[in-house]
Amino acid sequence: MKHLIIITTLLFTGFINAQTNYEKGMQKAFELWGSNNSIEAANLFERIASAETDNWLPAYYAAQINIISSFGEKDEEKLSAQLKKAQDLINDATSISKENPEIMVLQALLYTAWVAFDGANYGMTLSPKVVEIYAKAEMLAPENPRVVYCKAEWNMGSARYFGQDITPYCKDLERAVELFTNFKPETPFHPKWGKERATQISESCGK
Amino acid sequence: MKYLITVIAILISSWIYAQTTISGVVFNSKKEPVVGANVYLEGTYDGSTTNEYGAFSFNTNETNTQTLVVSYLSYETFTMLGDVSYMKDLKIKLREDVNTLDAVVLSAGTFQAGDNSKVNVLKPLDVVTTASALGDFVGALQTLPGTTTVAEDGRLFVRGGDANETQIFIDGIRVFTPYYPTTNNTPTRGRYSPFLFDGITFSTGGYSAEFGQALSSVLLLNTIDEPDQEKTDIGIMSVGATLGNTQKWKNSSLSVNTSYINLAPYNAVFPNRNDWIKPFETVSGESVFRKKTNLGLVKLYGAFDSTNFEIMQEDINNMDGLYFKLKNKNLYFNGSYQGVLNDNWSIQGGFSYTHAKNKFNVGDIVIGDTENSIHTKLKFKNRINNRFKLYLGTEYFATDFKENFNDLTIVNETYGYNNNLLAVFAEADIFISKNLAFKTGVRGEYSALLKQFTLAPRVSLAYKTSEKSQVSLAYGNFYQNPSSNVLKFSQDLNAQSTSHYIFNYQYNADRKLFRAEAYYKKYSDLVKYSDEFPDFNSAFNNDGSGYATGIDFFWRDSKSIKNLDYWISYSFLDTERDYRNYPEKARPNFANPHNLSVVGKYWINDWRSQVGFSYAFASGRTYTNPNEAGFLNYKTKSHNSLSINWAYLISPQKILYASVNNVLGFRNINGYQYANSPDINGNFNRRALKPAADQFFFVGFFWTISEDKKSNQLDNL
Repeated sequence: MKHLIIITTLLFTGFINAQTNYEKGMQKAFELWGSNNSIEAANLFERIASAETDNWLPAYYAAQINIISSFGEKDEEKLSAQLKKAQDLINDATSISKENPEIMVLQALLYTAWVAFDGANYGMTLSPKVVEIYAKAEMLAPENPRVVYCKAEWNMGSARYFGQDITPYCKDLERAVELFTNFKPETPFHPKWGKERATQISESCGK
Repeated sequence: MKYLITVIAILISSWIYAQTTISGVVFNSKKEPVVGANVYLEGTYDGSTTNEYGAFSFNTNETNTQTLVVSYLSYETFTMLGDVSYMKDLKIKLREDVNTLDAVVLSAGTFQAGDNSKVNVLKPLDVVTTASALGDFVGALQTLPGTTTVAEDGRLFVRGGDANETQIFIDGIRVFTPYYPTTNNTPTRGRYSPFLFDGITFSTGGYSAEFGQALSSVLLLNTIDEPDQEKTDIGIMSVGATLGNTQKWKNSSLSVNTSYINLAPYNAVFPNRNDWIKPFETVSGESVFRKKTNLGLVKLYGAFDSTNFEIMQEDINNMDGLYFKLKNKNLYFNGSYQGVLNDNWSIQGGFSYTHAKNKFNVGDIVIGDTENSIHTKLKFKNRINNRFKLYLGTEYFATDFKENFNDLTIVNETYGYNNNLLAVFAEADIFISKNLAFKTGVRGEYSALLKQFTLAPRVSLAYKTSEKSQVSLAYGNFYQNPSSNVLKFSQDLNAQSTSHYIFNYQYNADRKLFRAEAYYKKYSDLVKYSDEFPDFNSAFNNDGSGYATGIDFFWRDSKSIKNLDYWISYSFLDTERDYRNYPEKARPNFANPHNLSVVGKYWINDWRSQVGFSYAFASGRTYTNPNEAGFLNYKTKSHNSLSINWAYLISPQKILYASVNNVLGFRNINGYQYANSPDINGNFNRRALKPAADQFFFVGFFWTISEDKKSNQLDNL
């Protein structure tokens, strides 16, 4: 009996270990990201993506880190290498999960990074793409707070450029904040970012 | 016993969890450590990031054979298959990725316009925002070096070559009749709307073995793979109207463009030198259908247009002028497929059909001609790795040309030819390193009409001399069958040929681009004939020859002055040839030695306007003055033109556009026409060949309607 218990325990421990590898890995990656180790975090997400070939989340986060670190990057070579990497990761994620509004938002942000880098050169060609992606994402998930918030922020940017009224988008932002409050991610690792910034812009909106 | 079992069980479990440490260091080809590289066993969670010394170390429970992966931005991903127990103190060298931005580019002879190419001379949008171009892609390319200004013609004359020596391709498939027909003193335009293309490659020499039947130059236009959104475009212009619509479905999309141009109202307001009986009128329509399949993309492109006009043209030999009437119908269809076969092989294939019908009346002469042409192409690409790519392909051209001639004495004379040509080509791109690359290829062609086989080698190499500059060399042989106006009377000829030698220097930094390109071009087997205009009785041979040499400079700067983007092109050309009915070697009348072009665009944010100008200078062109001895013995005065434009964004979706060509009203002269016979003093009288109008005014309003109402007329800017 004793032997059985020991063996069962050992087997069970092994089993638990195998089960939680994904969770441990993801947790570790988020910790690294939170403590400003974004390169290591991105690397870890990429490793998880290579092990979990049917899960789009690790590739999604690896892409997101690369995109976020591209905003404000002045060196075109570095920017282009990072965004190319991000694009590859988005492509991987998309091939696992098609028609996914969360990934679409990321794709729109990737184009936005190019526009932010050099509006005169990329604004003309990429703006319609961004608009189209948000329109499609909104059709698929009208209640997704990130879709509503990112679309509103993009629209505010272009309205400012044309000297148009931005107040209609304040409403969209308010709605996004509301949606964030009620948003429940599918698992603890599903995307849930954006609330803070949406609230912040919404509060200063039109003032 | 109990204890033993416990001990064994623990041993086994610790054996199961026995960890191996994998360690090593990662550096690049300069022996510098690579910091931040991702090192891991493929398909596992085990891995690490390299530290500031490029070193890594991690533990794994994996055993036996595993794949170790090392990846980092701008480097080729490194993989190693081996037993984990041997993965200790590894020394891993990462190779630089030759696809990155700062890698050497095989660019001798070519100008790229597109979003994806590494060195962009022009952006696709430049076609519509260059003041002198009036929305014509050919007009925009004429501001690049290597082209000469032949103001009354409007086609592309490249490096001492005549307009027939440039071939135009859409999605890799040949266009047989790319230009609208026009009168003698009015430049033609390209038939195809610039909005359907997102990539333009203009090669002024030394191009790939994939392209043949062009002695001087190729222009490659790529249609958009996927339109951004559904929309309707409306344009109302001083010379007509356009209407376009794009529809998108899940995997496919359709864009349709139609236009109607009628110059009657414009001619009524601004009279010109022609005496119009029926002003220029053209109706055109084009559409692109695209469908994505699992592994590829199918594109179908079709264009139809119909043009007519009737005119009395000034003529020195004819007091009342020369009657000229033209009716033209042109149909073009192009289908292409590009797709992936497996990891290494991809395929590209296409087909085009052209049907062109012309009817001219010149004085008492009536000529009708019909051309039916097809082109098919199949091309395979093998990407053996990032550093070695192989291209193989074959193509077939067939032209059936028939002409019917009537005048006061000849009734219903019909003649023509069939021009069938088979070509095969093979080419390889070899990147030795990020700094040195070769392209080498060969093209073989068999012409059934001329019963001739030709073999044309092509080589180019590029070497990066510093972070921002590179030099390139290119050499190639090019063959082209004689043009239609010769072949319709005689087929007992050989292909004409050129050899190109090109040396190119390029400096590319932070939205500033400088290029200098020197070339030498040797022509041989050019067609000669005995009369001014060839006919049945002319004698033909291949004894012509010639050369062209020169240097082209280009400078573009979009950076130094905020909101200002400008470029300057200068070309020097020295050329002489003996062809057609030339009695001796001479500089042809389409080739002037100095061409300068300056284009500027300035964005005024407060006005939401772009203002632009374009200035062109071309030195005088040759003509023959029969009152003096010699051939092509005189030169016209030089040509000058300054054009300005203004685009105003009324709202994101509405744009107002105005332009004036030759705003300063330079009186340009393209050449002279001399009387066939001398007057009573023995003097040949002459008439200056002037443009139909010195200036051209254009006003247009363009409106995009899309569902989301956010689409931008900026795209059309």
